[in-house]
Amino acid sequence: MKSTQSNTSALENALPIESEDERKTDVVRYSGLLLIAAALGLVANWVGTGTTPAVALPGMVILYALSVAGLVLARYVPFYLPSIAWTSLLAIVVTIPGFPGSAWTLSQVGTLNFLVLATPALAYAGLALTRGEFEIARRSGWKIVIVAICVMFGTYIGSVIIADLVLRLGQ
Amino acid sequence: MSKFIERGWALHLTVLCIVILAEAIGIRRIQIGIGTVIFLPILYAFAVGVMLNPHILKKTAALIPPRAGKLAGTMITIAIMPFIAKFGTTVGPQIGPIIEAGPALVLQEIGNLGTIAIAFPVAVFLLRMGREAIGATYSIDREPNLAIIADRYGLNSPEGAGAMGVYATGTLIGTFVFAIMPPLIHGLGIFDIRALAMSCGVGSGSMLAACTGGLVAVAPGQQELILALAAASNILTYATGLYVGLFVALPLTEWLYGKCRPHDVPQNAR
Repeated sequence: MKSTQSNTSALENALPIESEDERKTDVVRYSGLLLIAAALGLVANWVGTGTTPAVALPGMVILYALSVAGLVLARYVPFYLPSIAWTSLLAIVVTIPGFPGSAWTLSQVGTLNFLVLATPALAYAGLALTRGEFEIARRSGWKIVIVAICVMFGTYIGSVIIADLVLRLGQ
Repeated sequence: MSKFIERGWALHLTVLCIVILAEAIGIRRIQIGIGTVIFLPILYAFAVGVMLNPHILKKTAALIPPRAGKLAGTMITIAIMPFIAKFGTTVGPQIGPIIEAGPALVLQEIGNLGTIAIAFPVAVFLLRMGREAIGATYSIDREPNLAIIADRYGLNSPEGAGAMGVYATGTLIGTFVFAIMPPLIHGLGIFDIRALAMSCGVGSGSMLAACTGGLVAVAPGQQELILALAAASNILTYATGLYVGLFVALPLTEWLYGKCRPHDVPQNAR
């Protein structure tokens, strides 16, 4: 997907068109930044659920380890999968009943609320919006807003309807 | 001080304040006639982030210089990782129900074509849009879908403009739409909560968080099942999304456009 240089705009550089090539990411730097993210997650969990960072720390260490392992695998495994896909797969494997220590792992990560952990990422996302993204949204106008809402609704409801039908057929 | 700011510590501290504020407000529910509207901390966090964005508020431009702004972009992908890890840990214990729902999980990926059924007619017939409609409506236009359009038409084309418009709009209001819509659809009482949950994986990570957060808020007793199915479908979308877009959704949308507007031929398709 590299053949577009001839007729694309400078805006392309301001947009995350191609997901960052994780073969080149600096695992050490990212692991350091992940520490900041983990600390923010602990604070968010503390304010949001009342669970103190001391209690939630072992759970966060587990999530941190899974994230770093995802980064490492995405960087060094000969075939490519994004790091979040690796992290997901590892998290599934270590919590399948019968995997050594799965009950302990679950009780530790149970001290962390899932939704609270997304709050820091969304704060960064709001701050990270580029001039280009605001510019495109403004230029596209109200028609695109209507279409975008229809796109999100259509994509979601289409999946819901098919999933519901298949679940009903299976019963 | 300037080094403190350049290295992004002011950025991280800003995020810390936003996070504390958002979590202190917490989840809010508003009952309306057809169901419950759910407001989640991730919505406040994003909204406050946009308000403080250095391109919106000139005062924060001193605290978040361009280099720190770039770091903020990197931090999105990093900060979402513990969330994704936590999400994955919900799948393991529920592996039985997930395998049971396996066919539905796989087939609902085809349901993503629902955007073409709903958004394409609106764009072409109601709003009289041109070839922008192809890029705008063939998919939910997150990063991988945008790459397909960039590769095929270039982003300077009408198709590219449509795709980028939906991308930018989705970035701005997608979290909001995905927090509000699923609880309202759940309120209709027609659909299995498992179907609503496994469809949460259709978009970006923040859409996923908003969608599951909203559903858990209206069906707290089924939190484990909701999270596990949403996580499983999200992982599946990593694997299938690009190919469904490239080989099914885009050709189908092009064909439909050709049927509706036979005289409007592409200028620079490759």
